[in-house]
Amino acid sequence: MTNIIVCIVILAIIILALAKIYFEKKKGAKCVGCPYSQSSDGSRCRYNKRM
Amino acid sequence: MKLALTGNPNSGKTTLFNAITGNIEKVGNWAGVTINKKEGNVKGDLNKTSENIVAVDLPGAYSMSPFTSEENITSDFVRNENPDVIINIVDATNISRSLFFTTQLLELDIPVVIALNKSDLNQKKENTIDIKKLSNKLGCPVIETISTSNNNNGLQSLIEKVIEVKGKKQTTPFSLKKVNMSDSKSVEKLDIDRFEFVKKIVATVENRKIHSNKQTKQDTVDRILANKLLGIPIFAIVMWLVFSISQTYVGPVIADILVNWIDGFYGVVEGLLGENVSPILSALLLDGIIGGVGAVVGFLPLIMVLFFLLALLEDCGYMGRVAVIMDRFFKRVGLSGKSIIPMVIGTGCAIPGVMATRTIKNERQRRTTAMLTPFMPCGAKLPVIALFAGVFFNGAGWVGTSMYFLAIGIIIVGSLIIVRITGQKNARSFFIMELPEYRFPSIKRAIISMFSRAKAFIIKAGTIILLCNVTVQIMQTFNWKFHVIAEGAENTSILATIASPFAFVLIPLGFGVWQLASAALTGFIAKENVIGTLAVVYSITNFIDTEELTLISGSTDVANTMGLTSVAALSYLVFNLFTPPCFAAIGAMNSELENKKWFWGGIGFQMAMGYVLAFFTYQIGTLITTRAFGVGFIPGAILVSVIIGYIFYLMHKGEEKAQNTIAYNA
Amino acid sequence: MENIISRNKMIDPLKIKFKSDNKINLSEGQINREYIVKEIRTNDYELKKFLFSLGCYEGEQVTIISVLSDNYVIIIKDARYSIDKNLAEVIMV
Repeated sequence: MTNIIVCIVILAIIILALAKIYFEKKKGAKCVGCPYSQSSDGSRCRYNKRM
Repeated sequence: MKLALTGNPNSGKTTLFNAITGNIEKVGNWAGVTINKKEGNVKGDLNKTSENIVAVDLPGAYSMSPFTSEENITSDFVRNENPDVIINIVDATNISRSLFFTTQLLELDIPVVIALNKSDLNQKKENTIDIKKLSNKLGCPVIETISTSNNNNGLQSLIEKVIEVKGKKQTTPFSLKKVNMSDSKSVEKLDIDRFEFVKKIVATVENRKIHSNKQTKQDTVDRILANKLLGIPIFAIVMWLVFSISQTYVGPVIADILVNWIDGFYGVVEGLLGENVSPILSALLLDGIIGGVGAVVGFLPLIMVLFFLLALLEDCGYMGRVAVIMDRFFKRVGLSGKSIIPMVIGTGCAIPGVMATRTIKNERQRRTTAMLTPFMPCGAKLPVIALFAGVFFNGAGWVGTSMYFLAIGIIIVGSLIIVRITGQKNARSFFIMELPEYRFPSIKRAIISMFSRAKAFIIKAGTIILLCNVTVQIMQTFNWKFHVIAEGAENTSILATIASPFAFVLIPLGFGVWQLASAALTGFIAKENVIGTLAVVYSITNFIDTEELTLISGSTDVANTMGLTSVAALSYLVFNLFTPPCFAAIGAMNSELENKKWFWGGIGFQMAMGYVLAFFTYQIGTLITTRAFGVGFIPGAILVSVIIGYIFYLMHKGEEKAQNTIAYNA
Repeated sequence: MENIISRNKMIDPLKIKFKSDNKINLSEGQINREYIVKEIRTNDYELKKFLFSLGCYEGEQVTIISVLSDNYVIIIKDARYSIDKNLAEVIMV
């Protein structure tokens, strides 16, 4: 019985972690948990890079 | 409604943006911290209307005719995306330059509101600006702001003004003569007239007590801090102080308390589980999740103190001087003076650092910088440094400092090599950088920056690192037939069999065991993983307060548990810091280098650099400490000579190419 | 970073400074003396334009405040810039 509870707890932690990564990625973070990585979204100014 | 924030570099656009939106974007007291536009909603307590106001923070620009790629973003945005109102942030201490850009903005037929920022600095210098007259002459509202202060900062009236002028027409004070815009001579004439117009305005509205071309205390300080001989030693001392305070004195004291809590938590969960739980599950929860994540989180206080100090350094204006000191060296090895900026940014995180290289125009210099920037120890590598400095060297400040200087050394040598391989060394470059004024660093901003990084650190520990630790724990519990491995047969686990071939190659570096090899491998996912994985594979939960360790692992000495000499530990640290960065940063390199040959060359170069350096660290260190070479010297030496030989071969080929080009041109 | 610029060129042997006129370049100037910019001697149009947007063009004032680590600290308008020798040699006063 305790085994099942512990199993559920572990799974819950893993799912929470995966969900957090998924949402951060969706928000556009390049690297989850890297400071300022989401603000440096490079896609916007690629076209004038060659200037 | 859309609101664009524009102005000269280092006029405080991002600080104002953060103040009106409540965001925490990176700011720094040097020009060019912002390289991309950022959006945010104006806070409810400033915006009294029901309409949502989106503020867009743009990179700084000196003029609407773009010179750099960041200036391009600004002028493109203002021209193409039709903001409803433009806030032009004008540095009150330098209106004679800033208003040039203002006159161009006033011609766009979009209502402009001027935020006369840093007005507190101006008061301190006893300069006065006649706001009313200025507003009259320019034909747009002027609001004094102090965006670094919490109250009486003028932001409320700024936003009110913005709402008021929305939809109105903007008059142009400067009578624009119809000139042929394609004729460069007449455009030039027009721009000179523009400056003359600004001069006239400044003469009537500004009253300067001290003429700015007189020597000030700042110049005296500069002469010491950026001195040809003293500059580097002072920088070294500053970095050493930062590391000593964070890793030897203040950090560990706080970390001790935190680590005790984590250990307490471990104990509580252990008690809750009791005897009946399957040992696999309890090990997964205790060693994999709590132990592994706890070991990483234990370093949080050290990291926070470190980032707090670095934020103070950035805020006071010192970083701009470091760029001046370094320019000389970088220039000599064929990098651009601009290369220093990506590297300073790279000390936070390599990803924005690599992205910042796009402001370098010369293709070879840009690619070289993108390839070398990840050598700078980033925020994720700091806990790894702290771990090894703490466990093997008593938390000595010199370990971290020397890693920074080693990184700078590698960059300089690396650049010398790459210039020769590409065979283009006759490049002439110009360097100009605005020197920001020194100021007393803001404790508040440093605290904000510290907590935002702490939050990011915790998120990373709770997501990527947690998942990696769980995977590592599972992989070391089972063998390939998914049977639980027997006691004493740890070498048959999935993890051990995957990591062993790598470990074999690492023998000449002094750490050829699968546990350390697997930690180095997971480090490519995120560098903090090195700590997490070491904690999991050695069942250590606590790297900081080693007296507490006996409670859990039964060993009193982390160093003994890992079976490393100090020299091997230093070599392992060097290997982890100077091999390729994490995958996310490798991805950023790939997109900036835009060339497979450069990309794989870069990865190969970083691999080779890490391996060769670790080899020399271990073998020479061992020779000094034990008077004999370490294990695997001969095969290692052969491999290292092959690597070095190949690099020399490439350099020789590059030189030949350069000779041919010169001959061809002649 | 917008105000740091870098340009690359093959070194041009013909461009070595000639002192037939009474202009000197900024790297030969004295500290603490106010100079008037006479010419930006470069055929790099963008560099010229960039210096212009800072207020560094013919007829404007420039003062060298100090020499730090092979770089020159100069004042144009009310701002301090650090420029290198290559750039100082382009600004004729």
